[in-house]
Amino acid sequence: MKVSKQEKAKTRKRILQAASDVIIEKGFKSASMREIARRAKVGDATIYNYFATKEKLLYHYCERKQDEVAEALKQIEDFHEYSLQEQLQQLAETELALWLPDREFLAEVFELTFYSSLAGNVNLAGTRKRFKRMVEDMIDAAIEAGEIPDQPYRELLAPLYWDYFIGILAYWLKDDSADHADTTQLIDRSVEIIAMVLHTGMIGKTLDLLSFLFRSRIYRHLEILEERGSPWQKAKRRFMGGDDD
Amino acid sequence: MTKSVPTGKLGRSGVAGKAFLKVGGKQLTHLAKRPFLSESACRKHQQALDDDTARILFKAFSQLRGTALKIAQLLSMETHLLPESLRRELSKSYHQVPPLGRPLVRKVIQQAFGASPEAVFSGFDFKAFAAASLGQVHAARNGHKEDLAVKLQYPGIDVTIDNDMQLVRLLVKRTRYARLLLSSLDEIEQRLREEVDYRLEADNTEWFQHHLSLRNVTIPQVHRDLSSRRVLTTTCLGGEHLEQWLRQNPTQQSRDHFGQLLYDVFVNSFYGLHALHADPNPGNYLFTEEGTLGLLDFGCVRYFSAEFVTLMPKLLRAYMDQDAQAIIAAYQQFGMVSNMSDEALQAFYDKVLQPFGDWLTKPFKSGRFNFAGHSVSYTKEGWESFRQLAGVNKIDGLADEFIYFDRTFFGLYQIFERMGATVNMEHRWLV
Repeated sequence: MKVSKQEKAKTRKRILQAASDVIIEKGFKSASMREIARRAKVGDATIYNYFATKEKLLYHYCERKQDEVAEALKQIEDFHEYSLQEQLQQLAETELALWLPDREFLAEVFELTFYSSLAGNVNLAGTRKRFKRMVEDMIDAAIEAGEIPDQPYRELLAPLYWDYFIGILAYWLKDDSADHADTTQLIDRSVEIIAMVLHTGMIGKTLDLLSFLFRSRIYRHLEILEERGSPWQKAKRRFMGGDDD
Repeated sequence: MTKSVPTGKLGRSGVAGKAFLKVGGKQLTHLAKRPFLSESACRKHQQALDDDTARILFKAFSQLRGTALKIAQLLSMETHLLPESLRRELSKSYHQVPPLGRPLVRKVIQQAFGASPEAVFSGFDFKAFAAASLGQVHAARNGHKEDLAVKLQYPGIDVTIDNDMQLVRLLVKRTRYARLLLSSLDEIEQRLREEVDYRLEADNTEWFQHHLSLRNVTIPQVHRDLSSRRVLTTTCLGGEHLEQWLRQNPTQQSRDHFGQLLYDVFVNSFYGLHALHADPNPGNYLFTEEGTLGLLDFGCVRYFSAEFVTLMPKLLRAYMDQDAQAIIAAYQQFGMVSNMSDEALQAFYDKVLQPFGDWLTKPFKSGRFNFAGHSVSYTKEGWESFRQLAGVNKIDGLADEFIYFDRTFFGLYQIFERMGATVNMEHRWLV
């Protein structure tokens, strides 16, 4: 039986959702591929045609989430009229809104990646790439429109925002205030600072300053080394030289 | 950046800590000096110290802004610890929470109704048209093309109130006013809690709409389906706020008309409904060209006991007749002067009550009272005796009602003065 591309995508989506449900219920370790397959109404073997391992399922789910976030942002009709600050905040808030039903699942993801092995970071590359693409697009658009000055080290900005957002997620996962209002305030205030940094071109200026200090320091150090000539204060005494008696 | 509100609890504690040190330092200086001062100088010094303490405390609060400033404002109104100049300064300061940007507006609506603002309303203006206490107001339209006012609350304001209350309590605990301030704080906290639950405000608005029927007075209609704990949607009343309205130089007739309306609202609410809709704050009224008065903000409605409502006219009557016996009896019933000796009572009457009564009944005696055109403004003239009266130790709840009532009266008079209105104060309610 030939399965159409569309149907395949649908099944994929169903498996991912089932995986999220099962992992939330049982935790990642106890969740079995078989149960996920059953929940998604696909054959025990078929599931492996879609995802070779349980880990893959996890990471693909995160990637799909990013696609959903991008889609949700596109749905906001006047999103392109938002200031960069508002866009960045909306991105963070939309992420949280869409992750909310899967909050426990996300906690599992954190357990497996950021809290333990480095391998997770590699596996999340796809997710990070999608997230970064959204941020880059916002920053590029803001620069094109003249909203913020051109940013030196522009390629660093999106990864930095990713790191920032991982921090926000970690905070959110531990946030027990009603409606996670503390996280809302944290984002509200921190994004304002980020926007200020971007508006003033602060990153470039700070890095310039650092590199200036670094270079002048290193340079002086090199001079000191040269002055010394010999690394020793005086010649070494002979071996066992003082040991006459 | 123009604003520099220390936001995190740590930052806010920092401000509090500094004030703490300052107050502590002042107390120490006083203790060190005390043995060398005569008794009267000592008392004088203590008084100066108290004023300083109050000043430092309130300065610290206003640095915190946000809810802490609001607490401070309420506290200063409640306790009358501050000299009038400082109190006024404080009430002018901006107790605005940071404005909500589009993402947060979206979030608040989404959380309340599970849908985006565009889906909930047929038109929604993301730019707020007014600041509200602890939130902001947006213009919107529903499917029937009806103009709406949508009040949104800053997410997490209740958590901030908790933290700020703790901080303020910590700050006042060590001062000489601790007992007075702490008991006032309990009341303030209660009031703030009510204020952040917009469902209560919706109830109050509807209650007043049903019960207060006065010609030319309008109260917005609540849209329950578009309201929640943190969102309050009502019909949008037209009209202008006091200052705006005054800028157009309204006629004397119009000034008198609105002054009278405000007075009628007050008398009818108090005597008819045993409730007052809010503090007489100019921001709570809308003036229209057609001569209707819009009432806004039912966030802190105050209800009065039947006992108090029947006592009040008796007291006013006694004041009109300058009947010392009856006046003191009324205050005793309010629980305000119960533990005073006869001589002390007489002194209290001569020093505080009589001047207050003379001042209070002036407008009543003259029938129509012109609040404009006094060389010394009427409220200024009465402020000192009013302050002394409000500073009397409260003993029970009735006294609380009394102080709140007086304050409302006073605020109303101030608005009349600002309007330059002549108001007919002849009492239908004076027994």
